[in-house]
Amino acid sequence: MIFRKILVNSAEAIVENKLRSALTMLGMIIGVMAVILLVSVGTGAKRYITSEFESLGTNVILVQPGKTDKKNSMGPPVASSKGKLTIADVEALQKNAQSLAAVSGVMFGAGVVKNDLATNNINILGSNDQFNRIFNMTIIEGNYFSKEDEESGRRVAVLGHTIKENLFGSSNALGKLVKINESEHRVIGIIKPTGDKLGFNVDDMVFIPTKSSLRLFNTDKLFGIRASAKSRSGIDDAVAELTAVLKERHNGEEDFTIITQVTMVESMNTILNMLTYALGAIAFISMLVGGIGIMNIMLVSVTERTREIGIRRAVGARRSDILKQFMIEAVVISVSGGLLGIFISMAITYTLYFFLPGFDMRPPFWILPPSFFLSFFTGVIFGVWPARKAAHIQTIDALRYE
Amino acid sequence: MALIELKNIHKHFLMGEENIHALNSINISINEGELTSIVGTSGSGKSTLMNIIGLLDLPSEGQYFLDGKNTTEMSDDDLSKYRNQKIGFVFQSFNLLPKSSALKNVEMPMQYASAYNKNLTDSMIRKMSLETLDKVGLSSRVHHLPNELSGGQRQRVAIARALVNNPKILLADEPTGALDSKTSEEILTLFHELNSQGVTVIIVTHDNKIAHRCRRVLSMSDGIMQDLDGIKI
Repeated sequence: MIFRKILVNSAEAIVENKLRSALTMLGMIIGVMAVILLVSVGTGAKRYITSEFESLGTNVILVQPGKTDKKNSMGPPVASSKGKLTIADVEALQKNAQSLAAVSGVMFGAGVVKNDLATNNINILGSNDQFNRIFNMTIIEGNYFSKEDEESGRRVAVLGHTIKENLFGSSNALGKLVKINESEHRVIGIIKPTGDKLGFNVDDMVFIPTKSSLRLFNTDKLFGIRASAKSRSGIDDAVAELTAVLKERHNGEEDFTIITQVTMVESMNTILNMLTYALGAIAFISMLVGGIGIMNIMLVSVTERTREIGIRRAVGARRSDILKQFMIEAVVISVSGGLLGIFISMAITYTLYFFLPGFDMRPPFWILPPSFFLSFFTGVIFGVWPARKAAHIQTIDALRYE
Repeated sequence: MALIELKNIHKHFLMGEENIHALNSINISINEGELTSIVGTSGSGKSTLMNIIGLLDLPSEGQYFLDGKNTTEMSDDDLSKYRNQKIGFVFQSFNLLPKSSALKNVEMPMQYASAYNKNLTDSMIRKMSLETLDKVGLSSRVHHLPNELSGGQRQRVAIARALVNNPKILLADEPTGALDSKTSEEILTLFHELNSQGVTVIIVTHDNKIAHRCRRVLSMSDGIMQDLDGIKI
């Protein structure tokens, strides 16, 4: 019997058992939906985190003292007694590295900020007048540090929004004095609230000039240097120039580590891709369960239709005809389930995106053909055994089967 | 040459510990156009013999020539082809597909025949199936499901299905066993008509009256074939 006729027969058999076919298909629908939705969540999360990363500043270069040989360092900043970055290094970069748009030394430490009204435990960040440009920070009241503030190490502070609210409420803070680790600083600016960005919350920080911070922490050694390249494409040149300037100052020794936004995003992507694959693997299990559902139903179907198999064999169906009939039935169920699963997951994600554009979990298009073929092959793999069983039933036994 | 020729056919199978000898050295030959009955009590081996003649079962020993070909040497696919092209079955319990209409049931053997005859189009299959249903007097009920038909009508559908591929042999296993006497008579008349049109008909029955309506009567008892005088053939 030709393929098309078997296909029609199979479709008829599926329609004749509507409820059972629908329930079997449901297993496949859920399997395919799990694959698509979990991969979508993975890629959506990746898209979100990457954009968060980039909003921190696109051309950022981080310089940490000390050297490690590992590439794409996402680990904790290296503390090293060997390498030492100083204000003089920052000044040399500002003077000599033309490819850099902004350079700032940074000092980082925990501390206490208080006034007459409240006391807050906070993170103190020492930086110079160029730091806000590197990280795209917006000042909503007052100003960031001036060059003079930095050079003379004035006791001035720029407050994150939460700190300002805690210490001053809604009243004006500009020009007021706050005590940072018992040293009085004058508030000269407030930073626009930005919320948590990858665990780095500007709102909970107090910014003071680098020189003031070195004095506060009683050291001459910087936590690191932050710089930004003039353009995204110029980032490699900027890294090369920065390296050259610093090496010359450090007796030709590269005792510092450079991390760029690019390497950070790359290593983040590696992690997020792993996440996506892991989610895909979990989804694959639900596909497996759907496949077992198909096999189960097909085995029931073969037993139930033993007599039909006998009749068909008696009037001339070959083993291969019976095999094809049951295989095609399994594949038709799995592929219809697969297509429905694709359709439903597209509908869900696009509807969500339509109403909540911030919640972008639209599936990437590359996942659609594999989902389809996965459902196809699930039908083939889990349909083979029941179909073979059907094809090898003895005609005479099948005809007597009650 | 005879259409059906059985040479020294044996059939035994194990039932639990016991070895049942269902057929014991059967030798018969049936010519084209004959109307033959095989009569015997339950357990006499007549159904086993019919299954072997119908290529539904294989003998344990012996040779079976159908239309000149030794079927005991055929592959499973060839046996399927022979069942499809040369033999039509009519069963006691009709054996129709319950969820398919009369027409679909009759079309089914032709759909399998299309594997051997590429010229069989869907419209030809439909046309010939309708003609065959008309021939058995069911042209008004072609779209009914089997459970919407009477016993006699169901058996007519089964006969139409057996005839649709123009087989040389019509094998009927207790064809009137589930029917009342009036309907049985109609079905037997139909078999006679078909035989007069050239189809070789073999009717298996336990009913001597039906058996004696046939020109040739073979009697089975304990796996042995006898003529009606009790002499082993």
